Amino acid sequence: MKGNAAFRTLVLLAVIVILAGGAYFVIKQAQTSVSDLPVLGQLPDFEFTAQSGGMFGRREMRGKVNIVDFIFTRCKGPCPIMSGFMSELYQLYGGTDSVQFVSITVDPSYDSLKVLQAYAESHGVKDSRWVFLWAPIDSVVQLSEQGFMLAADDLPGSHTTKWVLVDKDANIRGYYSGTDEASIEVLKTHVARLVKEMK
Amino acid sequence: MKSFRRFALFTTLATYFLIFMGGLVRVSGAGLGCPDWPKCFGRWIPPTNVEQLPPNIDPAQFNFVLAWIEYVNRLTGVIVGLLIAATAVWAISSFRRQPRIVLPAVAAAVLTAFQGWQGSVVISSQLEPVVVTVHMALALIIVSLLIYLTQEAYYRENREAFLTLRAPRGVIFSLGMLWVIAIIQIALGTQIRSALEILARKFPLSTSAEWIGKVGLLNHIHTVLGVLLVAFSWGVAFSIWKYRDRMSALMRQSVVAMVTLATLQLFMGLTFIALDLTPIVQVFHLWLASLYVGSALLLYTIFRKREAAS
Repeated sequence: MKGNAAFRTLVLLAVIVILAGGAYFVIKQAQTSVSDLPVLGQLPDFEFTAQSGGMFGRREMRGKVNIVDFIFTRCKGPCPIMSGFMSELYQLYGGTDSVQFVSITVDPSYDSLKVLQAYAESHGVKDSRWVFLWAPIDSVVQLSEQGFMLAADDLPGSHTTKWVLVDKDANIRGYYSGTDEASIEVLKTHVARLVKEMK
Repeated sequence: MKSFRRFALFTTLATYFLIFMGGLVRVSGAGLGCPDWPKCFGRWIPPTNVEQLPPNIDPAQFNFVLAWIEYVNRLTGVIVGLLIAATAVWAISSFRRQPRIVLPAVAAAVLTAFQGWQGSVVISSQLEPVVVTVHMALALIIVSLLIYLTQEAYYRENREAFLTLRAPRGVIFSLGMLWVIAIIQIALGTQIRSALEILARKFPLSTSAEWIGKVGLLNHIHTVLGVLLVAFSWGVAFSIWKYRDRMSALMRQSVVAMVTLATLQLFMGLTFIALDLTPIVQVFHLWLASLYVGSALLLYTIFRKREAAS
């Protein structure tokens, strides 16, 4: 009878150890799977003009987690949705300087710095955490295709709706759909991870 | 009866394993690992690479590991569901004149079918806190029915294993209350877990200590009720322990299990604040709570049985 009790205790302990070990393994796998953000590419050096008139390029992206998109102010299709979501995130991360937003115009002939400034204001931009960049169309196409690896045919009409996540070393870490809320939820978890890596 | 009792016990243990899996899904963040139900990304077997995804799904949403965690939980759910259904069929066909066997078995099977459907609501509601909490509470009621059933079957073949003790009414009532309060306490806990998740989305860059601070009232109630529950458990245990010489081994073990689980829970709750919500502790905090519910119910039913028999 005594031996039986000891055996039962052993079985119970074994079950607990197996459950704990299994759970630990599963949780670790899940955590790595969501934090696994491989470097997808490195941004080339570039220098565009920000809506404030200052220069902004790869150097200014370093040291911050950057969320980048391509838009134009006359756009009636996806841009209002994208800039709306971007504006929400801009508010969400209001308490930190670690996250920076970069919107690049694909319609430089119309979107002068003045137009971009007005667009920024209409989206509630109050500080330098969200910049709107201007450059001649050839430079925009080149940066889009060779830097961000995003197609840039028939600009401005059929510009990309992808958002790009760029880390503190100007490495591309992920692409998201800027018109899809579920995709943006995923982006948020990735941003949190990259910011925690920086600390 | 013996083989039925064994089968019922096995089903109960399997259900406890499923509750463990469910907690693991929650804690590892795999609740929406499959965004659809009952299929996973439109397939009966989840995709193993991005090419197998249906065209309307954004590849950025797909996570192989999370999909499989959720999928294994669903498979386990199907197996446990079949076990419970088999228990009910067995009960109806062999013990139809014994309502204390048939009723809990059938009730468990009906609730399990409902639970399967409710699982689909968990997914379609995008893990709405109240829906998740109902899912958990249903699981506790199902496992309680199975414990009651197993205990009834055991009693029928082995009456002398039950005590020769008539417990005071107050003790029986207290045990019933412990069961009820424990379920409420777990519901509060799952609500806090959901509140934390919402806060994590709203303040993605805060630490978990800051999130806990923001939960506020709900968290305080959970803590106070937890301390009371532990104190109450010890009180009831002491008042029964006087009669330990007249208790069966099963009863003594249940009393020890109840106070041990309650005390462990208190320490785990405290660990959360010290250890930054360590995921593995979260899984066991929930699971031990469900085991506590089982131990309280078991004691309640055994004591009540004694009273009814006398």
